[in-house]
Amino acid sequence: MMRLAGAALAVVFAAACQCHVRIVQHATPTPHDIIALLKDPETEKVGRAVVSSTSGGSVELTHKRQATRIVVGQPPWAPFRFSRDQIDQLFGEALAALPPAPRHFLLYFEGGSNQLTPASEKLIAEILVFVRNRLVPDVTVVGHTDTTGAARDNIELARTWATMIRDRLVAAGLDSSLVSVVSHGEADLLVPTPDDTPNSRNRRVEVSVR
Amino acid sequence: MQMAAEIVVAGMLVSGVLSASLESQGQPAGYVKIVTGTASITRGGVDRPAHPGDAIYQSDGLRTGAYGRLGVTLKDDTRISLGPNSQIDLSEFKFSPAEGQLGLVMKVLRGVAAFVSGRIVALRPDAVRIETPATIVGVRGTYLVIQAEYP
Repeated sequence: MMRLAGAALAVVFAAACQCHVRIVQHATPTPHDIIALLKDPETEKVGRAVVSSTSGGSVELTHKRQATRIVVGQPPWAPFRFSRDQIDQLFGEALAALPPAPRHFLLYFEGGSNQLTPASEKLIAEILVFVRNRLVPDVTVVGHTDTTGAARDNIELARTWATMIRDRLVAAGLDSSLVSVVSHGEADLLVPTPDDTPNSRNRRVEVSVR
Repeated sequence: MQMAAEIVVAGMLVSGVLSASLESQGQPAGYVKIVTGTASITRGGVDRPAHPGDAIYQSDGLRTGAYGRLGVTLKDDTRISLGPNSQIDLSEFKFSPAEGQLGLVMKVLRGVAAFVSGRIVALRPDAVRIETPATIVGVRGTYLVIQAEYP
């Protein structure tokens, strides 16, 4: 029965594997790497990767399920396309262990005050619920400023804001051992701007729940 | 016999001190989120079983056994997972944008891995690299799978 199932699977795999791509699993396969680009199911976007062989030559992957194979000492194969089944067959075990996507909550203060905007105030409870529903959560509270003023001062300012939000979350019941506070100052803008540009969307505290 | 036992105890003490000093080096790079079957973290030459919630540091190795799977999420939101019989090294992890420190280098030594890029790729794409024994991958985002087949 087991053998039958295995043979059937091999036939399915061979059939799915069209003649232009033969990624057949031999008893002692040639040492090789396979790199494939997938569509991000969260954002529906396909990124890009440049794959180079250590012995020279490189190819670019730009489409979903596009892949290349590299044998030691040879340049990468011309990019080819995997089927969904082939991706599952080769990478299903790794994909099954991918942790859930992190989520980000952006909090804003009323102009120049330490008071959260009403919309941000509401998010505090939402964050706590979200953390509670994660099996293995960790939380980072990240302070961000706009580019007004000196970068050094902005690191301190953003840290002050982030610490305030951390204290709010902990007071509302978040386990403090799950939370770390960091400051990105003006180095991680939400809206790209030149230096010394006031921007209320960039002055924010980001709560990342992973 | 007694000498052997003393050597073992001394060895444990040394490795304990070593790993403690390694752990005190900076912030965790991320945390273990998913463990199935046999999976371990290698730090300072010492292998320890991986559990959900364990901290991961730069230079750690991650390994899985025949039925093992492991999933971690790094501080910049990068997600990495391993299928069975797999081994990767987190060679570099720097995520301090305010200090201009950004870098992520992961080595897939064998097995299968999935990789979903995070903030470091968004902030400095050329600072993120996945290496295998025969390959260097420059990651411009987002979602990649890697097989390193080395008997």
